[in-house]
Amino acid sequence: MKARIVLVGAVAVALLPIAYLLSLALRPAGEVLNSSLLPDTVSFENFVKVFDTIDLGTMLTNSWVSAVGAAVLAVVIATPAAYFTARHVRGDRLLTVLLASYCAPPIVAIIPLFFLLRYAGLTNNVAGLILVNGIAGVPVAAWLLDGFVRRIPVEIDEAAAIDGLSVVATLRKVVIPLLWPGIVAALLVTFFLSYNDFLFAVYLAVTKESQTLTVGLSLFQGDRNVQFGQQAAAGLLGVAPVYVLALAAQRYLVGGLTTGATK
Amino acid sequence: MSSPTSAVEITGLTKTYDDHAVVDDLTLTLPDGSLTVLVGPSGCGKSTTLRIVAGLETADGGTVSIGGRDVTAESPRTRDVAMVFQNYALYPHLSVAANIAFPLRNNGVAKDEATRRAREAADRVGITALLDRKPRQLSGGQQQRVAIARALVRTPKVFLFDEPLSNLDAKLRVELRSEIRRLQQDSGITALYVTHDQEEAMTIADQLVVLDAGTIAQVGTPEELYRRPANTFVAGFIGSPSMNLLDGTVRDGRDGTFEGDGVRFAAPGVDAAAVTLGVRPEDMLVAPSEHGNGTVEIVELLGPRYVFIVTAGAHRLTAVVEAATVAGWGRVPAPGDAVTVDVRPDRVHLFDGTSRRRLP
Repeated sequence: MKARIVLVGAVAVALLPIAYLLSLALRPAGEVLNSSLLPDTVSFENFVKVFDTIDLGTMLTNSWVSAVGAAVLAVVIATPAAYFTARHVRGDRLLTVLLASYCAPPIVAIIPLFFLLRYAGLTNNVAGLILVNGIAGVPVAAWLLDGFVRRIPVEIDEAAAIDGLSVVATLRKVVIPLLWPGIVAALLVTFFLSYNDFLFAVYLAVTKESQTLTVGLSLFQGDRNVQFGQQAAAGLLGVAPVYVLALAAQRYLVGGLTTGATK
Repeated sequence: MSSPTSAVEITGLTKTYDDHAVVDDLTLTLPDGSLTVLVGPSGCGKSTTLRIVAGLETADGGTVSIGGRDVTAESPRTRDVAMVFQNYALYPHLSVAANIAFPLRNNGVAKDEATRRAREAADRVGITALLDRKPRQLSGGQQQRVAIARALVRTPKVFLFDEPLSNLDAKLRVELRSEIRRLQQDSGITALYVTHDQEEAMTIADQLVVLDAGTIAQVGTPEELYRRPANTFVAGFIGSPSMNLLDGTVRDGRDGTFEGDGVRFAAPGVDAAAVTLGVRPEDMLVAPSEHGNGTVEIVELLGPRYVFIVTAGAHRLTAVVEAATVAGWGRVPAPGDAVTVDVRPDRVHLFDGTSRRRLP
């Protein structure tokens, strides 16, 4: 019972900012600056007007496309990488090196990245964001997947080798099917990281056509009077599908397929 | 090099981990169609040897040939071996039927043919009813039957068993080991079997190999190793309860006496100074006696036999006596009672006191 109270409390604290965001989005422009917790009158005008103020449709599309693309790219690279780091004798060291690169502040890479992308013709382009966010997500995805690979008993790989599979075929036919919970988890985490990315997007994709939602939200701050209500509405529209996604995919983050593999 | 009657030849095999030789210049031939058991305490190199034959580990030196072909440098998948693991190592995402058919499908057997043969193999190990289940829905014994069926299904050149019964309970172990023996004999395929359980090794082996610190202590039939252990290591390892081993000296040449740390037994046949006397518990003679040379310490009833742990001189000796004999004494000796302890002179084993090798 005590644990339940603590849990409910923690959830309430976590949800409070979202609730306030909802409360802000649902009140007419005039009410935004009064300090009440709940709106006096409920209005949906912010959800309509926000589409006139910014090109929210394009921004959402850009955010989703770049985040999905980056997640897929990161996991495609990270899966074989994690298979190596988890199984090879020197894998631990490689994983450390991989993770160390992730600890550097990403802003130090901005200028070289900018010039590299410009050279490749990928600035102001969702493809450029996919490439940068995808590669930036590899260490995290590999680190996550490494743990999932290690939970698969190595004897299963050995049985596959004896049963006639090459290393690549073992990865494809035996390891990846058992790795699905990990792959889904890695896809989700890298998706969230790139969906939430602001730094790369604000430097590398600045045109209206290539802007993502995070950049779009920051633009409200540039106006003479800040449209808090509309900003809240845009934020909600951006965050809602991601919440639903996280809820729907929750079971993939828990549990595992490997139960019953070995005693 | 290899004769046509030997399925597997291991020559001069060496494997070192961190400057420690786990397998040290090991040479062994597995006769065609036989079941060879590698047995020894943990760390003796038995699993490493098996894994080198499988191709899962690479040797630092020496060669392995299978069916007359040198496979030392080959990967497991080209060696045509099948292996059963201690923890079963089934593919959790595949049904039992797909698990068994897996090696066939990887080697280009058509789906219908693979399914038919998987069914046959399942039938041979008695799991036909489980074909549609997933491994996690099976008990340990059932899972190991699936693993055995997966090994049987493609008639490999060699079966490899790496402690296949160690995760199962005692009753199932006894049941499955005779079944493995039967399946291996029916198939006529050469097998290499690793276990740390000497009783399991004794009951199923054609050829028994006792390993000690990476080298072969003795090779032979289970009976040879039991009757004539080549050294004190094998003498102490094979047989349960373990053989009594006493250090001492033999006096007065042939028909002489063994003396050591407060005991004295007749020990014919050898004229040597420092020896180790080996006597199996069932070859000890124990009888209740007020002025005996020993004292009972522990009494255990094991079904039709009693096991007595007796202190005599500086030794703790184990003796096994038939329950019928004990019944004839009128009363079972209790801890603290005096008994006479002797040995059957024609059944003693004598080992050199320094080299620990059997004296002829």
